[in-house]
Amino acid sequence: MGHRVVITGIGVVDGHASGVVSRLVDESEARRLSRMCQMTVAAGRLALADAGLDTRGELALLVGTEFGDMVSTIAFVDGYLRRGPTGLSPLLFPHTVMNTMAAATAIAVSARDLSLTLNVPTVAGELAIARAAMAVRTGRIGVCLAGGADEPPALVLDALREAGAGAEVRDEGAGFVVLESLDAARARGARILGEIAGAAWRALPARPHGIGRAARSRAIAVALEEAGAGVAEIGCVYTSANGDGPREEWERALLDRALAPHRPPQRALCLPAGRHSGLAARSVATAASEAGDRLGLVHAVARGGNQVAIVVAGPRRVAPSRAVEALASAEAPPRLARSRAIEGLASAEAPPRLAPPSLAHWA
Amino acid sequence: MRPVAVTGLGVVSPFGAGVKAYWEGISGGVCAIRPITLIDTEGFRCRIAAEVPDGVGGSTRRSRADRLALAAAREALDDAGIGRPDRTEAALIVGAVGGGMLEAEAWYWQRARGVPAPLPRALASSFPSAHADVIGSVLGLGGPRETVVTACSSGAASLAMAADLVADGVVPLALAGGVDALTRICFMGFNALKLLDPAPCRPFDRDRRGMSIGEGAAFMVLEDVVRARARAAPVYAELAGHGMTSDAFHVTSPHPKGEGMVRAMRAALREARVAASAVGYANAHGTATPQNDRIEALAMREVFGEGRLLVSSTKSMIGHTMAAAGTLEAVATVLTLVNEVIPPTARLETPDPEIPFDCVPRVAREAAVELAISNSFGFGGQNVTLLFRRAA
Repeated sequence: MGHRVVITGIGVVDGHASGVVSRLVDESEARRLSRMCQMTVAAGRLALADAGLDTRGELALLVGTEFGDMVSTIAFVDGYLRRGPTGLSPLLFPHTVMNTMAAATAIAVSARDLSLTLNVPTVAGELAIARAAMAVRTGRIGVCLAGGADEPPALVLDALREAGAGAEVRDEGAGFVVLESLDAARARGARILGEIAGAAWRALPARPHGIGRAARSRAIAVALEEAGAGVAEIGCVYTSANGDGPREEWERALLDRALAPHRPPQRALCLPAGRHSGLAARSVATAASEAGDRLGLVHAVARGGNQVAIVVAGPRRVAPSRAVEALASAEAPPRLARSRAIEGLASAEAPPRLAPPSLAHWA
Repeated sequence: MRPVAVTGLGVVSPFGAGVKAYWEGISGGVCAIRPITLIDTEGFRCRIAAEVPDGVGGSTRRSRADRLALAAAREALDDAGIGRPDRTEAALIVGAVGGGMLEAEAWYWQRARGVPAPLPRALASSFPSAHADVIGSVLGLGGPRETVVTACSSGAASLAMAADLVADGVVPLALAGGVDALTRICFMGFNALKLLDPAPCRPFDRDRRGMSIGEGAAFMVLEDVVRARARAAPVYAELAGHGMTSDAFHVTSPHPKGEGMVRAMRAALREARVAASAVGYANAHGTATPQNDRIEALAMREVFGEGRLLVSSTKSMIGHTMAAAGTLEAVATVLTLVNEVIPPTARLETPDPEIPFDCVPRVAREAAVELAISNSFGFGGQNVTLLFRRAA
């Protein structure tokens, strides 16, 4: 059984929200860090502030990403192509490795426990949250930031499309939830946004970049089993739809079969702007926020067959405690789009606006 | 938690394909670091690496890294006797960094120089996750599938993550390992950081001048011990514990006191419930950079005390194979337990007085060891220690 895993914070930074980033990243960081890393650090700080967590403790970090910091990678290579070996920036090189966002965030928020970067198309953020939930449930980690980050360069998107890897609509940004055990959250009097009641990830038969034929989903069944829930309890499904028609059709078929005879409403939070790995955090937090007395299912499936299912309960289903009694008696669950941390930041006296970070600083 | 057995090994190394060739190479103290043939090295200070020799095999429509990974993964599954029906529930965890970047770079180079360059099929496989999708699809692995990127400790992290899934009863068995082919970005980057020795590297030597890079792939089958025994599978060793920590200190430099390394080693000991004094051998990260070797030794001294522990660096023979390093070195550690032979640190001529350990210079040594660790550290302060126990 293990520990119950609760959500105590949420922070999402979309690519266009540059004002938020500049308030959460100081001048020194803005000089040193790529834009991708700045967004990740900002989302991590938002989530921790939302959870009311002191970042000096042992904190784990799980970052899902589809593209890593590919913008910096291209800049690194272009330096060589323009000027030969003397054009190579030793400062940019570490950004060519996909764990650069995790490294920058770990340093920024003192995350000294487990740190993992998971790379997978489409489902990276969901996978990081599912893996993190398992690690909290088994007691391997105590508290963590889990989510994702992406900044896909147009060149790479065009190349992937031409190479037949789908026509997904992608955005840029970063997002995290804070996960911890229910006992730990109660002990520190944390506000509980919801619970990860079950999570599972499996591979469906499919060729790389291909759509599978299978409609039987083991991930959903295992996640529901872990949650001790039946399909009838699912009130809403938050899908990974983002404009890739054949993949969306496959996802619908998987959900229809797994949840039959029930057909709960399906939502995709990424449309129309596009999907990035940080949106998984928003899906999970929204599922908790909207679950009421039922359960939300956050689901994602990728070309190639990676599938993730996360069963989310709202605060009303978490066993009553002093920490949640106030929420349970409130008229409405917390609205996550303007959570405590985001509102606080918006109303706080803003630090001086920093010049937009530029990779030119690195040359 | 269920005990986790190692029941299959697969390797493609700079000594060629197969576990046998790898063990013969490293136990023989042979250095496979030679002039680079795969990419243009003109204008760079260092021009050597440990390349996998010709005959990688597999379809050239796949990236070189995919082919390395497939060959090693297949060998591991065959070695463990895991047939198709058993694979449907098996997890697949791959540690990777460069993905299919070697082919993507070639395309980008041409394009940037104005040469018409049609998109290669392999371009869609340029990200690290491509290996897992290829292996999973070709070999029919249907359990949890993950690709982990923790820089140079990725291969070791893949084993730790797979061990968790088996130990926690999520899956009965897992295939896990790391892969990296040589890439221009990696070669150029370490040159730019001035971390490469123009001559083959000399870990733990007083006169070491930096690392050598390499390529390869290695996989292990990890299995619930009870399940392995029930099917009478040969058990190489037990993966008894692991520790994964983050320095949260600097992107490219380890903590000066090796604080995160110490925590990783102690976490592995704690999970395995063994005393530091019971560990007989450490397959070190041992990159041969002045900084890494000194700090790793400092951390090992903090955990194990001075002197007694035997230490060697496989990188002295196959270079630093990036995401594959953690698994290749884990395989070396397991084979050390099985064969009762400690592979040497090749080219170690003048031991560094700051390294207070016997680093097994140049020649392998016979030694029966019950417990051994394999250390892997990566950019971003990503520390992984694996602890193996000899099979009963």
